[in-house]
Amino acid sequence: MDATEVTAVLARARQGDGEAFRALVEQHSRRAFQLAYRITGNEQDAEDVVQESFIRAYRQLNRFEARAHFGTWLHRIVANCSVDLIRSRRARFDHASTDDLPVNNQPEASDPNPERMAASAQIERKVAAAMSALSPLERAAFTLRHYEGRSIAEIGKTLGLGTSATKHSVFRAVRKLRAALEPLRGES
Amino acid sequence: MKHYTEEDLILYYYEERPRGSSAVGEIVQHLDTCAQCAAVYRGLAATLKAIETPEAPERGDQYGLEVWQRIRHQLPEPEMPWWSAWFRADRLAFAGAVAVLVLAAFVAGRWWSAGSVPAPQVAAVATPATPQTAPAEDSRERILLTSVADHLDRSARVLTDIMNARAGVDISAEQRWAEDLVAASRLYRQDAADAGEHSVAVVLDELERSLVEIVHTPSRANAARLDEIRRRIDAASLLFKVRVLGDELRQREQPGAARPRALTTQTS
Repeated sequence: MDATEVTAVLARARQGDGEAFRALVEQHSRRAFQLAYRITGNEQDAEDVVQESFIRAYRQLNRFEARAHFGTWLHRIVANCSVDLIRSRRARFDHASTDDLPVNNQPEASDPNPERMAASAQIERKVAAAMSALSPLERAAFTLRHYEGRSIAEIGKTLGLGTSATKHSVFRAVRKLRAALEPLRGES
Repeated sequence: MKHYTEEDLILYYYEERPRGSSAVGEIVQHLDTCAQCAAVYRGLAATLKAIETPEAPERGDQYGLEVWQRIRHQLPEPEMPWWSAWFRADRLAFAGAVAVLVLAAFVAGRWWSAGSVPAPQVAAVATPATPQTAPAEDSRERILLTSVADHLDRSARVLTDIMNARAGVDISAEQRWAEDLVAASRLYRQDAADAGEHSVAVVLDELERSLVEIVHTPSRANAARLDEIRRRIDAASLLFKVRVLGDELRQREQPGAARPRALTTQTS
């Protein structure tokens, strides 16, 4: 969908044409899910965030500036919805076992280098556990910086933080993750 | 010698300019000459490199459609200009009803005062106009009715197969069929909505959601998953609605057949 089509679709959606909004939902859902998953670290939460983000976007369509990129605007909404959701489910995260947290590339029996894979899985578990201990803003800021490659300025704009607050969120997150992973470095 | 803080090194790692540093070159030069800072940076970089981007669970090509199906009925009413409130359907209906009552009172008043009934005039007011449908439009509508009725028959067969499927049995054939029906269902729903057939559009919408769910179920679904799908189909009385609507559309295919006005209430 090019910029002209997006503009036309947005104009129709603003006038209450829900079907027009559908095209935007279909185009941006997967990317929204990916970001929501990285920030929340939970598949079901990411699903909830995606839905809530689109509903919020639809409600706020009148605030969207036509010259901006819809994907960028939605990205911001998804990040903030994720932060809101982590805040609201903090208690659940605090009590979550690390077994429930996402772990990538679980070692399989047929893997040619099982020891290395096991070490990698161990790091991922530690990272997941450490990530769940971060505050919602630290988690979102670190995700946007480390996984999404966003600059400090962009993260600040996305999360509505000043430059200094954004940097400190990233610093605190890195410090906590280092503390969690330091014992593993000693083992390897 | 001025040493860099951990925070400066974090910014440097992420290619952000460290605070108070005029150029990234300065820190590069410093790390070349200061073993202490170089060791801190190596530790930091090794830790951050070990944190790999988590792979989000895969979402298929139909994911956007699934999200849409989930949120479409939750979308809030768009904000409209204040004057448009006067033209809302319910208010227009109310105004119409008031106008009819006033007219009826006027006619009744004349009848009572004159002591006789102006039969032809009353008849003219009370008898609704017979709809005059152009033959071409009639024929187009019948084609649409036939297509939708066929579509509903096929869908009912898929739903029946799923309702009767045993756990662990391969349902990939039904899923392929359902996938074809999803695309068709979407088009028919749009056509029905455009033609003002809202009750038909509502049933097709519910059908589309169930078909999408069937498509995205593992082809060898376990008992719990199949039960979940069946419960949703049952809860919406979907199979029943699909069959009833199919029958009604078949009846309407006959030339001169009257259009049922309360399809939604009959089928829901």
